[in-house]
Amino acid sequence: MKDIFKFSEQPEFENPSLIVGWHEDAGRLSPRVIEYLNKKINAKSFCEIELLGFFTLAGVAIENNIAQFPECRFYHGQRNDLLVFGGSEPQFERHKFLDAIVDLAQHYCRTRELYTVNGTISPIAHTDPRKILAVFNQQEFQKRLRGYGLQDMNWKGPPAISSHLLWIAQRRGIPGVSLWTEIPFYLAACEDSQAVKTTLGFLDQKFDLGLDFGELDEQIAEQNGKMAQLREEEPSIDRCIGMLESGLSLSGEEQMELTRAVTGFLEQG
Amino acid sequence: MGTRLYIRPDLKNSVMFCGWPGIGNIGINAIDSLRRALRAKEFGRIEPWDFFDPGEVLIENGLLTDLKFPTNKFYFQRVKNQDLIFFIGQQQPTEGRTRYAEGQKAYQMANLVLDVAAEFDCRRVYTSGAAVTQIHHTSKSRVWAVPNNQNLVEEVKQYENTVLMSAIEGPRGQGVITGLNGLLLGVAKKRGLEAICVMGEIPYYLQGAPWPYPKGSRSVIEVLTKILCIDIDLGKLDELARSAEENIEGFLESLYRTEGIPPEVRDEIERLRDIGPTEPGPITEEEQKKIMEHIDELFDQGGRKDERHL
Repeated sequence: MKDIFKFSEQPEFENPSLIVGWHEDAGRLSPRVIEYLNKKINAKSFCEIELLGFFTLAGVAIENNIAQFPECRFYHGQRNDLLVFGGSEPQFERHKFLDAIVDLAQHYCRTRELYTVNGTISPIAHTDPRKILAVFNQQEFQKRLRGYGLQDMNWKGPPAISSHLLWIAQRRGIPGVSLWTEIPFYLAACEDSQAVKTTLGFLDQKFDLGLDFGELDEQIAEQNGKMAQLREEEPSIDRCIGMLESGLSLSGEEQMELTRAVTGFLEQG
Repeated sequence: MGTRLYIRPDLKNSVMFCGWPGIGNIGINAIDSLRRALRAKEFGRIEPWDFFDPGEVLIENGLLTDLKFPTNKFYFQRVKNQDLIFFIGQQQPTEGRTRYAEGQKAYQMANLVLDVAAEFDCRRVYTSGAAVTQIHHTSKSRVWAVPNNQNLVEEVKQYENTVLMSAIEGPRGQGVITGLNGLLLGVAKKRGLEAICVMGEIPYYLQGAPWPYPKGSRSVIEVLTKILCIDIDLGKLDELARSAEENIEGFLESLYRTEGIPPEVRDEIERLRDIGPTEPGPITEEEQKKIMEHIDELFDQGGRKDERHL
């Protein structure tokens, strides 16, 4: 297990809460939450997971003209009660990888709680408030977080990596919750700043972080402005979003068309 | 990474039967049908998380209640003074690139299975799978048998409706058994344990089909029950085989009708209908390749779409 981690320093923690996010997510929620959080708490990386054995490492992917490479790091800020992990989902040995995260959190950092942040695609309009759906691995923990406005989730189907992590934590007796913030389906391929803010709002309240949302508010206003412009220019798009705002559902074809139009428009910048 | 045994039955001179999913699920359906018919009791399992990703999560009222992994279980039963062990794996361990077992994890799995065999005084292991060949789906499947040592050849020759590789591929009896069925045979050989792989025939044009092929499983069970000198009720399997044959007929008919496959491919499949399994294949390798291109394309179109994960 030792070979999996590469420490650059060895900070001390005091029963921290671990916040986990993944690089790929609907509405880019998870990476943006981790990035924003780390920036606001002045966090820096103190440990990374060695990639060998977890990723193909067969060249690099290119995104937005930039070569990408998997990265899996633990971060800490000035507060010793917060531990952050941001990483790419492993391509191989998922259980071993997640076990390693929990291992470090439990034995080195003595983590008391686990939080994962994720986006979930929802048939809502971007003008609707984003709900945070929650999955707990212990009933006691669920009771403790009543009052934060989280909504209980029901689901049976293929598990996401966060559910797998939550299950490993459950077996080790670490209370955990996966936060699934709603993303309007037509923003899934773009960035949903409103959902990012909703998620950070929960973390801010839970951990009393005193986050400054000014930067995010600007991004939200900018995106809402663009969406308003698109609705004005494209009556069919306006009609579809209007239907969603009225709680009506769209046909498969309408959903595809809306997603295509919004993604194309927002990507144009 | 390990095995968890709930009880330690007192087994002597036992025989182990292993089944995994594969082409037409012929092997797993044969071994599992036999296990069910003999009411074998579960006594252990291989912990799955080092080999497989979970397939399903159950979340109820905001609580994670279950994460389901493919199971790999051991069962035992004593029948006519013979101690039998069954190993049923719901999935073959892969390194993420192939459908069938290969690589380090497959080797580890094979060794864990054989560790249990050794612990319970196993004298022989049977694995089971599919033999892809030029037969028509209305024909009775034969069983191809591959032992892992020369001393077993004469015994295998006595099995009914069973052929050795030399009867199929010529005197040198060459071929390849992919996945755990083959690997287990090899690892057993390395460990000095007798093992035989029995494979039920499946028409090559159905090898990519997402359905089971009960006819192949039935032929394997016939052979295994003869070896064990036992009778089991095969009525349910017969019913499944009949229904599968009807469905395949219907599927091919609809393809012929809608010209989903070219007429020459139809003619090539139909030429197999009246050919017995002992006769040489009427289709050249080139023709077979052409048929497979069309049929696999059709099966791929019905493939599962990406699902939502939570």
